[in-house]
Amino acid sequence: MKKMILSLIVAIPLLISAQTKVGDNHASAPGLKCLTCHSCPIPTKENPCLKPCPREGMIRIDQKPEDGPKIIIIDKFKKQSDLYMPVRFSHLAHAEMSEMGGGCRMCHHYNPPGNVIGCSECHEVSRKRADVSKPDLKGAYHRHCMDCHRAWTGGTDCNYCHLPNGANRPLPEKSKADESKKRIHPKVETPEKILFSTNTNYGKTVLFRHQEHNKVFGFDCSDCHSNESCVKCHKAQKTIEVSKLSAADKHKKCLECHDTKSSCNMCHSNKETNAFDHMAKTGFDNSKFHGELACIRCHTTKGKFTGLSPDCNSCHGIWTQSNFNHKITGVVLDETHSGAECKDCHQEKNFAKPVCTNCHDDKSFPANVPGKLIPKGWIPIKKNK
Amino acid sequence: MAHQTRRDFLKTAAIAGATLTGISSNPTKAAQQNVLSENRMGVLVDTTVCIGCRKCEWACKTAHNLPTQPLESYDDKSVFKSMRRPNDKELTVINEYPARSWDDYPTTVKVQCMHCDKPACVSACIVGAFSKVENGSVIWNGDKCIGCRYCMVACPFQIPAFEFEKALKPDIKKCDFCFDRTKEGKLPACVEICPNEVLTYGPREELVRVAHQKIQLYPKRYINYIYGENEVGGTSWMYLANRHFKELQFPALGGSPAPGVSEAIQHGIFAYFVPPIALYALLGGVMWINKNRKPSDSDSEGRHE
Repeated sequence: MKKMILSLIVAIPLLISAQTKVGDNHASAPGLKCLTCHSCPIPTKENPCLKPCPREGMIRIDQKPEDGPKIIIIDKFKKQSDLYMPVRFSHLAHAEMSEMGGGCRMCHHYNPPGNVIGCSECHEVSRKRADVSKPDLKGAYHRHCMDCHRAWTGGTDCNYCHLPNGANRPLPEKSKADESKKRIHPKVETPEKILFSTNTNYGKTVLFRHQEHNKVFGFDCSDCHSNESCVKCHKAQKTIEVSKLSAADKHKKCLECHDTKSSCNMCHSNKETNAFDHMAKTGFDNSKFHGELACIRCHTTKGKFTGLSPDCNSCHGIWTQSNFNHKITGVVLDETHSGAECKDCHQEKNFAKPVCTNCHDDKSFPANVPGKLIPKGWIPIKKNK
Repeated sequence: MAHQTRRDFLKTAAIAGATLTGISSNPTKAAQQNVLSENRMGVLVDTTVCIGCRKCEWACKTAHNLPTQPLESYDDKSVFKSMRRPNDKELTVINEYPARSWDDYPTTVKVQCMHCDKPACVSACIVGAFSKVENGSVIWNGDKCIGCRYCMVACPFQIPAFEFEKALKPDIKKCDFCFDRTKEGKLPACVEICPNEVLTYGPREELVRVAHQKIQLYPKRYINYIYGENEVGGTSWMYLANRHFKELQFPALGGSPAPGVSEAIQHGIFAYFVPPIALYALLGGVMWINKNRKPSDSDSEGRHE
């Protein structure tokens, strides 16, 4: 009996530690359920019962191009009989280029949460293998490379990346210079606006405010550009001709947020359309306290900017004297006023201009201040975005 | 018995013939194989990832000791201007079909022997030079071939080619699924060289499962059809594509095996020595009728005189 208890005492912490070990590896991402990736309720190391890829719903990679390796020599599946030498792959240059298209996950497509893993973690080196449901390492590399390089060079020339086996050619000067650089691909500049000419009845032009969509509406490059290859900018062999697009294709991207069926005049016009003004469009002035916030902080469903109530309490909860720091409004209340209820002075639900007449017959704001004004230029403490 | 009668000669000839066929047919049957193993291998060709680099063409020629141009010459894409067929000098070829839209790539398709599960060539070959072997390959034995070229007519994919230019000992040439390589545990040459692993080599049953899974996972990438899964009773080589196989010049064949009809007729007729017996019965019948009619004919002639 004693032995049993002893062994139990030893075994229980061991079992617990074994279980948490699995958790440490990959399940640390918040809100991630086992059944997102596994098909059985209790996956084990022997039988992880992984669901087949793609599992894109759960991918999150928060690395910057410079965090990854600079150069990778792809020689994992090198053989003597190979026709070509291993590729010297500039990971940095490609990571920089991918910023437009969707970042790391363009290549690291089925990365589990946590660290970025290399291709060989999932793709087997040997072509002769038991599990043929996903390509081997050589196939995986080439499929990714050729996806863009076919369009980029307009061909399938192996020598573009490989040196023939046995060739004793030195590295081109250009790539040597590239390797010493901090950044290889120049940062992509966002145009302020793009003017499209159209031949519809609603107007001759569509003015697309590009920077506004990035900075005000918070779109990432990849939200719109993810399916474009290098040639979109570099125009090597194959350029995308807008004129060849069907009307439906042209409106496809806009349709995700705008109603392109009935409100044509919103974009199509003969004169330059106005920049987005929250006050003019919605009647809610967001410049004072909400100007720094990304749209999605309040309009929580991305792309669907449905109207919200101008009532502060609808988002912020019920404000009371004790939970509201009045200082952020630019007025530090004096002792007398700090004891009053909010509604004593602010009778409107949007907490606009205060009224003094509730208590005072002869006072009004802003001639009289219920405390101390903070000098202009003082910036309220930024809350995390 | 110094004088041999006609009847005696026929008797001996029939006995000798029967004995001869008995002897000669037995070893042929033992050597020719037509097995449909459950573990037979296959190749799944994913045309959506093929880039038309033509390295498989080069590897095939090299593996089969066929004369070939240097590797660099295979970058020449002008061959795609016309449609090519496998022939006695090229056991596999890549054809290109134009892209359907401006933002799409052309589709390139590898053509070679499909290595049918129920091969028509094996069935048609009268000397048993063709075999379907354990690992799924359909192979040809030059020692037995008499050059009748029935296989070329029988093949629903028109694959076997004949060395017409050779006057002496011409061969039938077709993809042999690199039987000499797979015997040693190697991969077929084209499968090994393909940079994109367009060609996935594995047990056929597994490949069918993988193909269905791919179609299910990427419904926008593939049309819901595996060419070769059921064509002429199933083939070892199977294809996935993003457009209708008719556009890629795949023959529209039903699901019933090509040798099904001919084999049933042939085997039905030739079973139990039916044709010679029937022939002799027919001839005998004619003779018997003639024998009975003769006297009556001469009788009538006599009356007129």
